[in-house]
Amino acid sequence: ANMILLTHNMMVSPMKEASKTLPLKIEAEEVQELEKEFNLVFLVKIIDRLDWAGFLEASAILNQQGLPSSTEEIDKTNEESMRKLHHALMEVDVVTGALVCTETGRRFPIAGGIPNMLLNQDEL
Amino acid sequence: DIGCGNGKYLSTNPKVWMHGCDRSPNLLQHCTANKHDVLVADALELPYKSSAFDAAISIAVIHHLSTEERRVAALKEALRVVRPGGVLLVYNWALEQEGRFGGFKEQDQLIPWHLNKKFGTDVVGHGEKAEEKHCVVYKRFYHLFKEGETERLFEAAGGNTVRQSYYDHANWCAIVEKQALSM
Repeated sequence: ANMILLTHNMMVSPMKEASKTLPLKIEAEEVQELEKEFNLVFLVKIIDRLDWAGFLEASAILNQQGLPSSTEEIDKTNEESMRKLHHALMEVDVVTGALVCTETGRRFPIAGGIPNMLLNQDEL
Repeated sequence: DIGCGNGKYLSTNPKVWMHGCDRSPNLLQHCTANKHDVLVADALELPYKSSAFDAAISIAVIHHLSTEERRVAALKEALRVVRPGGVLLVYNWALEQEGRFGGFKEQDQLIPWHLNKKFGTDVVGHGEKAEEKHCVVYKRFYHLFKEGETERLFEAAGGNTVRQSYYDHANWCAIVEKQALSM
C-alpha cells in the first residue's frame, strides 16, 4: 500500500480536540518513487479539490521542487509541468514515517505505506 | 470505501481514485488491499477532511456496531466526508434473509466464523476451539437490520436524501445523496 500526497491532502487529524481543517504534518523516514499512469483529465479535475498550500508544504518536505505557488499559475497545456505535478501528487510514497496532528502533537505512524489513524482508548 | 477489508471493491472502477480504510491492519495487508491506497481507521473517527470525496461506500460494516447510537454516528461520519451532492452506498445484513444466516428472530447476534485450519489452530483472543471441526471459532457481533431500518437511521443522521433503497442478496441497501446545506 502507498501513502501518496493525494491521500495526505484528503486527510485530517481524527483527534477529538483537532479542528478537522488542518493538514497533518508529514514525518518521512523511508520514501520511494512509484510509477502511476499519467491521467491529465483526472489531474485537471483533482486540482480543484486540493488544499494547495497544504500540498506545497508537504511536497517541500518530500523534496519536490518547482511546483506552481498557486493554482492560478498552473498551465494545464504545459505537459512538462503537468507531469511534474502528477509526479509530486501521485508518485512519491511515504513508506515509513508518521503523520503528526499539529494541534495536539499526536503522532500517527506510517508502516508499509499504511498510516494507522486509530485513536487509543483514552483518546476516545 | 469505509471498512474496505481485504480491498475487494477497490479495483471496481479504475477510472476513479479510490481510498480505503479498515479497522483491521491485518486485512489491509492482504495482497489485494495492499495494492491500493489504504489506511487503518475507525468508522466513527474517519481521518478525512469534510466533503473530500464524490462518493463513499460502506458495505457490511455498520451492522457490526453494537448500538443504534453508534450506527447513526457511523452514517454521520460517512456523510461528513462526502461532498454536498455526493452519494453514499450502504449495505447491511438483513434479519429477513433465508439460507445460511437466516432464521434469526433477534436482531443482535453473535455469528460464528470458523478460521480455516491452514491459518493455524491456536486459540487467539476471544476465539474458541470447535472440537468437531478441529479449528478455532470466533463469534462476530451483528445487528441484523429490519426492512426500513436503514432508511430510519439515515433520517436520524440527517443531512441526506434517500435516492434508492432495496434488498440485495440478504442485505438491506440504500443510496443516499448528501444535502447541500448542513454538516
